[in-house]
This record gives sequence, structure tokens and C-alpha cells, in this order.
Amino acid sequence: MENERFARLGKSTMRHLAMEARETLQRLADFPDNPAAMSLFYQFFSALFTGNHSLPEAKPIIGVMCAQAPLELIHAAGATPLRLCSGAYAYEQAGAEFMPAKSCPLVKATVGMLHVNRALWGDALKSVVIPTTCDQKKKSVDFLTDMGFPVYALEMPPAKESDVARFYWQESVKQFALDLGGITGRKITRQSMRAGIGKVQQGSWLFRKLHELRRTDPPLLLGKDAMLVTNGWFLMEHDSWCAAVTQLIAELEQRRKNAMPAGKRLAPRLLLTGSPPVFPNLKVPLLVEQAGAVIVTDEVCSSSRLLYDAVSYDEGTLDEMVGAVADRSLKPCTCPCLTANRDRLRKIMELTEKFAVDGVVYHALAGCLPYEMEQRQVGKALSAAGIPMLYLETDYSPEDLGQLSTRIEAFIESIKARKRRK
Amino acid sequence: MNSLRRAVNKLNLSRFRFYFQMGAFLLLVYGGYLAINIGDQLPAFSCVFNEQRGGSCYLMGFQHQMALPWKQLFTGRGIGVAIGLLTFIGFFLLLNKAWCGFVCPLGTLQDWITMLRRKLRIRYSTYGEPLFRKLSVIKYVLLALLILIPMGMGNSVFGLPRLNEDFSVPFCMICPGRTVLPLFNGDFSQLAIDFSSRTKMILTALGMAVTGIFLAGSFVKKRFFCLFCPMSALHYLFAKAALLRLGKDGAKCTRCGNCYRACDVGLRSIADDVTSKNMVKDDCMMCLKCVEACPEEGCLKVSFLGLPVYESTEAGFFKRMGKRANGK
Repeated sequence: MENERFARLGKSTMRHLAMEARETLQRLADFPDNPAAMSLFYQFFSALFTGNHSLPEAKPIIGVMCAQAPLELIHAAGATPLRLCSGAYAYEQAGAEFMPAKSCPLVKATVGMLHVNRALWGDALKSVVIPTTCDQKKKSVDFLTDMGFPVYALEMPPAKESDVARFYWQESVKQFALDLGGITGRKITRQSMRAGIGKVQQGSWLFRKLHELRRTDPPLLLGKDAMLVTNGWFLMEHDSWCAAVTQLIAELEQRRKNAMPAGKRLAPRLLLTGSPPVFPNLKVPLLVEQAGAVIVTDEVCSSSRLLYDAVSYDEGTLDEMVGAVADRSLKPCTCPCLTANRDRLRKIMELTEKFAVDGVVYHALAGCLPYEMEQRQVGKALSAAGIPMLYLETDYSPEDLGQLSTRIEAFIESIKARKRRK
Repeated sequence: MNSLRRAVNKLNLSRFRFYFQMGAFLLLVYGGYLAINIGDQLPAFSCVFNEQRGGSCYLMGFQHQMALPWKQLFTGRGIGVAIGLLTFIGFFLLLNKAWCGFVCPLGTLQDWITMLRRKLRIRYSTYGEPLFRKLSVIKYVLLALLILIPMGMGNSVFGLPRLNEDFSVPFCMICPGRTVLPLFNGDFSQLAIDFSSRTKMILTALGMAVTGIFLAGSFVKKRFFCLFCPMSALHYLFAKAALLRLGKDGAKCTRCGNCYRACDVGLRSIADDVTSKNMVKDDCMMCLKCVEACPEEGCLKVSFLGLPVYESTEAGFFKRMGKRANGK
């Protein structure tokens, strides 16, 4: 009886997932002059979500549930990192069984995804790494363990400024490095660690180049595409992601020469901050850009926070490199789950200036309390700097599309009017 | 000009610094053979006890001058003292704390000991930041003593009897520069305890102990001795006016801590302070490893008289780190 219900749930979820993915991809492609190289990403996501949602070929796979988990270590242990954070409404509904109605859709969807796919992924997923960041991720440790997944709770401090917090996190990451060796059967060595850091650094270098191309006026790449590219980072195989992004960068460089920008010349330049938009939930970036604005930069953990910061080490001993990787994922972090998060305000202000931003879209997933709570202080800082902000509280369901698009259009019109007055 | 600047910013500065230090070491330790003397008021430990030196450390002359009776300071001899101090300041302002990071033979020696440890694949030890702040007081105490003890020799302070002549140049007696640098010219005579008087015995025994601590300490902790260096304390009094500067644009800083981790003397302000413009703090020796480790475009900047010399760039950072990922 229970099994039958589970099988039915699995089937209907996969059907809904495929529909949802197809629709988002349709909307992504439905812009004039998308870069040809973007089709590599459209195809990847289409293949992944419209068939069976299967795991990558390269084994062993270590799933991670947060940008805080240092990928360098996973690469160094000879495993493939896979991001588990899900943006699918279909999975969210499957996860609703485990979590309260008002909790975070992202965590709900991730739990739902693992629940639905546990038979399919069971053995291939060697570990599910959950950094103890926000409360909801902390709590999912228990649900997922009960489901039978090999969960690894990576202990993270609630603050980052003090020496105590830094050493706590470093110790926790060092222990993770040791344990990873046991999980994958390949011990992390000096050489493999250096190569692991090199891999992530390569990604970060490509991301920074892309970042720079979005800064031009008018920008060369739309935010909805940039989001998809960074979403691909955790899901695609490392080399194919790098190859695809290199191709995209080359094409955008060419477009720069031919003066072929992505947005209209006077399109409002917006910054997106807040909860992470993860495919297929690209609702907000899509609505914003369909309304004629361009998201030129972002401060979200599925994009710039994930790839921007780069590790450096001095002497290159294993101990030092692991510590350096730990620092990279804690010290520059601007996640609102940390107390004293002034760095987030500084980062947003720096980005608004550097990218000549006209306005900010603050995206909060309903139930993602840390982001909802920081809305006020971010809004205050921005209004002091004379930059308008639109606060959107939404979830994965398509129900509020109409209401959202009205608000977004009004916001963009008001920015356009401001720009004309100037 | 711009392409030159870009090329400079991509430099592996540590390698340049290694050769510069080597050159400075040769000049200051062996310069005497070529009759070179670049000055007697150098803001670096080019020890006077080393016969073949190419210039002299200011501290020895300074301690001698401090031993003058106060009355004489207001006569013609006072002009000599003032000129000495001004020459020292002049030298110092030119390079700022880079005297420590690029020139000082004792600093270079510590960096070589670090390299040896690195070759032996022994990891360095790290300490929490509060400890450093506590230790940084010691060098000011030493600076005060190296002024007050000679003064006590030349004058009767508060009616106390004058200190005896054996207290002459007290800091030199405990400085590892005196014992170690002459060794490079085959002079082992300083490596001994002087039993001619009780004062001398205590001072030279302390000197031997400090030498041992210097060698062992710098093997474990990068630039160990620099934390206690009274020359560094004297430097810092004038550092705000120096021509060579290390500045920071706080808005660009992500506080990732790369610079803090690279810092041999553990200055946390380099990573955490986003308001100060001047980053040369108390213990800083301007080795500029922080600039190399910074991935933010134009966040950390070295300038001379306001002209940019070297600054952190994205391209430079990724070039340097990319090479290391490939095992170079």
C-alpha cells in the first residue's frame, strides 16, 4: 500500500518535473539573440530534467546541500561533487510531507527530491554533505538520515569574525578532509589537494571573466543565462562546464567587437540579491528580464557567492591548503545565517557601484527566514544611497506569476522614468 | 605605460624579493671587501661587529649617543646626534618598512631558515592574533631600555649612581645580529660569553641565549625575531610619513583573509580593516606577500610618492596561483 503510493508519487513527480523544466527552458530560449553557446546549457538541463533525473556518469558522487561545502576537497578526494539544492516545484510538493507548510521551498524540494529518487540514487550517492548553516538545513540532517542516506553534517559556526569561529570551521573542514578519504577510498594528498584547488580556481577565473562581460554597458549577457551557467557549475562535469563557459566567453567577446549587446541600450541595470534562484525556479530573473530590465550582477549563493572568491596558499602544505579552503568558504561568505553580516551590505554597495546598478531586486523565498529578516537593513542602506529596491517574497509555485509581474513591471517603469529624468 | 604596469602587476613578487634580499645581504655583509659603505645610520641590522659590512646599523651609534651626558646634547655634539637621527629618518622614509622585508640581513636570514624548513616539509606553526598583539609590546620595552640604559651611564638619573661602562651598547650585546652576521665572514669571536665583568657576563650570556632562540624560533615561526625588534619599533614612529606606502581600498575588500594567511607576522588588520587607508602597521615588514595573495582588482596597492608601483589584480593573482596548481 505504502509502496504503491510511493511509486505513484515518484511517477507523477517526474512527469511534473519534466513539464516544469520544459516550460522554464522554453521561456529561457524565448528571448531574441540568445548566445549560440547557451544552447549547450539549455541542452544539458533539458536532458537532465526531462528524462530520468539521473546522476552523473563519473563516480563516486558526493552530494552537497550548500555553497559552503568546499568543493576543492571533494575533487581532491577523487569524487564528483553534485549540488543537491533543488529549485523544482514538483520536488517541493513531494517534500511537503516532511516539513512544515511554511518552511523553505528549497530545502523542502531537496528533501523531496532525495525522497523520490532514493531507490534510483541509493548506492551511487556516497555521501550527502550538509553544512550546518540555516536551521532548515540543520534539521534536514535527521530526515535524510532516517531516509537511509549517508548524511555528513559539516559543522559550521554561526559567526565568522572571531578567531574561535575561524578555528572551529578550520577544524571541522580538516576532519571532513580526513573523512572524505574514507568515504571515497582515496586519501587526499598534497598533490591532489593542489589539483583540487586548481580545478575550482579555474571555474572561478572563468566566472570572473563572465562577471566582467556582464559589467559592460550595455551588458553582453542576460542574468537569466548567467544564472543557468552558474547552476550548471555544481551539476555538470567539471571539464565540460569549463569548455562550455570558455566557448560562451569567446562568443561574448566576439559580440562585444560586433557591438551586439544582450539588453537594450537604456535598459535598467539591476542587481539580484537574496535567496538563490535554482533551475527550474528561474521565475524572478525571467520575469525581470521579460519586463525589459537586465540583471547585470547578483549577490546570491547559487551564483556570485559560489564562484567569485578564490583561494590562495603560501607554502602549500596539505594542512595549510585545507585551512585555506576552509577560510575561503567562511571568511568572505555573506550568507545571512551568519551573525554580524555587515559584509553583505558592503558587498551589495560595492557591486551597485562597480556595475552602475539602477535598482535592486531582493528575492526572498517564503520560509527562508534569514533572507526575509535582512531585507530591512539592506533596504535601508540602499535607500540611503538613493538606489530603489523591490522586495519580492515568493515560492516555487506558479500561482503568483501574475501578481509578481505587475509589481516587477511597475518597478522597472519607475526606474526608467528616473533614468529619463536624469 | 599601462602595459608595463599590467606586466609588473602580474609579477611573482616573492621571487623578485628573494633575489633583492640576496643582493642586499651580499652588499651589507660583504660590501666592505669592495670598500663599499652606504651609510652608518641604516635602518636595518647590518651589524657593526661584522668587519666587512657594507654599511652600519643605526642602533649602535644611537646607543652610544644616548650615553652622552645631557649637558653635552645641547652643545655642538648635539648637532651630530641630530644629524645622525635625521640621516636615519631619511634612509627610512625612502623605503619605509620595506627595509625589514627587503634589506635587513637578519630578516633575510630568517626567511632562509623558513625556506630550509619548507624544503624539509615541516609545517609552520600558527598562533591566534591576540597573542601577537600582546607580544608586540616587547619591542617598545626594548627600545625604551636601549635608550634609558645608556642614559643611565652618562647621567645620574634621580640621583642614582651612574651605570658602569660595561653596560655600553646593551642592545647590541643581546642582538643576534652581533653573534650571527660575523659568522658569514668566518669571525666566530662574538659567539662567546665574556667573563671579564659580571655585567658583561650577563649581557653576553643573554646574547647567546637570544641567538639560540633566534635560530630555533625562526625555524618554527616565520620572522620570529621581528616581533621583538626594537628597530621595528623605532621605524614605526616615522612610518606614517614614509614615501613607500601600502594602501587599501576597503570597499573592494571581501575580507576573504587570503592576505592575513599570507602574512608572516600575523597582522589581521590587513584582512579585517576596511576603513584605514594605510596598511603599514606596527609589525608589518612590507614583504608585500599580501598584495600577491589578493584576488581583488586594485584592493591592495603599493605606491611611492603617490605613484602606483605594484597592486593586486585579478589577472596577476590567477596567473600566480594557476602556476602553482600545475606544480610549479
